[in-house]
Amino acid sequence: MAAAESMPELAMKPPRLGHPNLGLGVGLRTVHFSHILRAQPEVDWFEIISENFIDSQGRPRYVLEQIAERYRVVMHGVSMSIGSTDPLDFEYLAKLKRLAGEINAHWISDHLCWTGVAGRNSHDLLPIPFNEETLRHAVERIRIVQDFLERPLVLENPSSYVTFADSTMTEWEFLTRMAEDADCGLLLDVNNVYVSSVNHDFDPHEFVESVPHHRVVQVHLAGHTNCGTHLIDTHDGEVIDPVWELYRKAHRLTGGVSTLLEWDASIPPFEVVHHEVLKAKRHMSEQLETTEAVPRPATPRETAVPHPLHFVAPEVE
Amino acid sequence: MSHRLDEIQRWMQAVITHAGGIVPGIESPQARGEIDVDTARVEEVIARSEALSSVERLGVYGNAYFARLLECMRESFPCLVQALGEETFDEFAFGYLQTYPSTSYTLNHLADRFPDYLRETRPDTGDRGGGEVGWPDFIIDLATLELTFEKVFDGPGFEHASILEADDLAAVAPEVWPQVRLRPVPCLRLLAFHFPVNAYFTAFRREEEPEIPGPHREFVAITRRDYVVRRFDLSPAQFALLGKLIEGAQVGEAIEAAAEAFTGTVEELADGLRQWFGEWAAAGFFESLELPD
Repeated sequence: MAAAESMPELAMKPPRLGHPNLGLGVGLRTVHFSHILRAQPEVDWFEIISENFIDSQGRPRYVLEQIAERYRVVMHGVSMSIGSTDPLDFEYLAKLKRLAGEINAHWISDHLCWTGVAGRNSHDLLPIPFNEETLRHAVERIRIVQDFLERPLVLENPSSYVTFADSTMTEWEFLTRMAEDADCGLLLDVNNVYVSSVNHDFDPHEFVESVPHHRVVQVHLAGHTNCGTHLIDTHDGEVIDPVWELYRKAHRLTGGVSTLLEWDASIPPFEVVHHEVLKAKRHMSEQLETTEAVPRPATPRETAVPHPLHFVAPEVE
Repeated sequence: MSHRLDEIQRWMQAVITHAGGIVPGIESPQARGEIDVDTARVEEVIARSEALSSVERLGVYGNAYFARLLECMRESFPCLVQALGEETFDEFAFGYLQTYPSTSYTLNHLADRFPDYLRETRPDTGDRGGGEVGWPDFIIDLATLELTFEKVFDGPGFEHASILEADDLAAVAPEVWPQVRLRPVPCLRLLAFHFPVNAYFTAFRREEEPEIPGPHREFVAITRRDYVVRRFDLSPAQFALLGKLIEGAQVGEAIEAAAEAFTGTVEELADGLRQWFGEWAAAGFFESLELPD
């Protein structure tokens, strides 16, 4: 009912909630700090992991300030735990808000997930069941966060490895209703769509076709690990062809949105990461006939750890 | 039967963070207290996929939980990992993560209590009445050193602040010098060890694969300059002097403490003091000075 009632209003919503299309960006990682400062590569924009910087009083923050002076920056977090039943952490939110102001972040994003309960943090992006109760819960918390941050929140679909008996709707139906009811943005991670589609036996194209495209502010690309019986979102390699296929569809349906590549494990030199996201230019054309198939060998599951793993090692002399 | 979100979350957390694995996790009192299903009925909570059972699917999260955090711990303590070997280090870290699971939004606090945990669980606690130094002290000392690097690296520094230069110290009139107080920079830390872990760390950094040293007192100052952590070996007298200054004592009182720990002549101490203050000022140990009224 809520979605139907808000349709006329939705029709007037600008694409991407009015955010600009920043182009092709790269996830900022500490191993690339020196290169970026020295070489000042021509990158459209950077996405930072918020938790690596909101408390930093050392080199990470110093580097970020220099990067934010030259490049456009977006904040991407892993600890908001918007789906948790623990209270929201307003101290954390205040730090996000402060940093966003200080570096002029274009938007703040996190994931539709929970990271822990009873005061604990698993440092994982754990899924929630998709039903009316959890939808109300998520929408209420998103509204509170948006009021506090005084800006729309942008939420990403995480990769997941379980589904719940208590789910009564699909993930894309949940995301659609959540985004409309809470009036928030979406970060469509097409790699996560693909990973979850294999893990949960659904059609990834239906997912991409069904989400509200005018609310998609950003797209994520990444590599993953094929464990034979399932996929794990490891962010440790190139984007595979089926994911590029989803990207092409997302690009067409959204009319083009800010696109970012994440690479978090076995991180290669910056140029390699940047080159990977620049491949998106070729995929923006509907007429693209062939794509570069990247085979992904099956690896033992023990070797694959899903992201996030964002830790800054100290520099000691 | 449907389950509330809070029940599902407490249940799932208990299951995927259980040290024994998913099945013991499902069967644990903590999980059964939230949702009372045994392993045979777990599909009432977690659906299976075409390829994996519900337990196998939960196992992806269970495997990742400790693997991810152990990886972080190894990154925090690379030298200790080499000293102990990865398997032994992981055993300590695995126990630690069960005793002190993360409660912070950031992984930067994950290891904060690791030295405390090693102290609390040291195997020779019961017979250390005589204050004997043993191999657990080496582990605790090295863990403390590496944790301090992390804290100093990303904590408050003085890169954007003015600091006290050697000339500022030289400008103080000799007669008021004993009443002066020196305010240390916020990143300055003093550490006293039972084992020479700083020397051990230096050898580790040089990829020398050093032997575990025997016990030997070691005093170290850790600070940060230009965003890089810096280490300074200290003599007992230097440690006593700096310790008092950091506590807020006047220079005269701090020198008295240094004299007690100094083994040379008064003249040698006087020469040493001039040199030490000059070196420490050059290294940026002091933010400002407070002259007597």
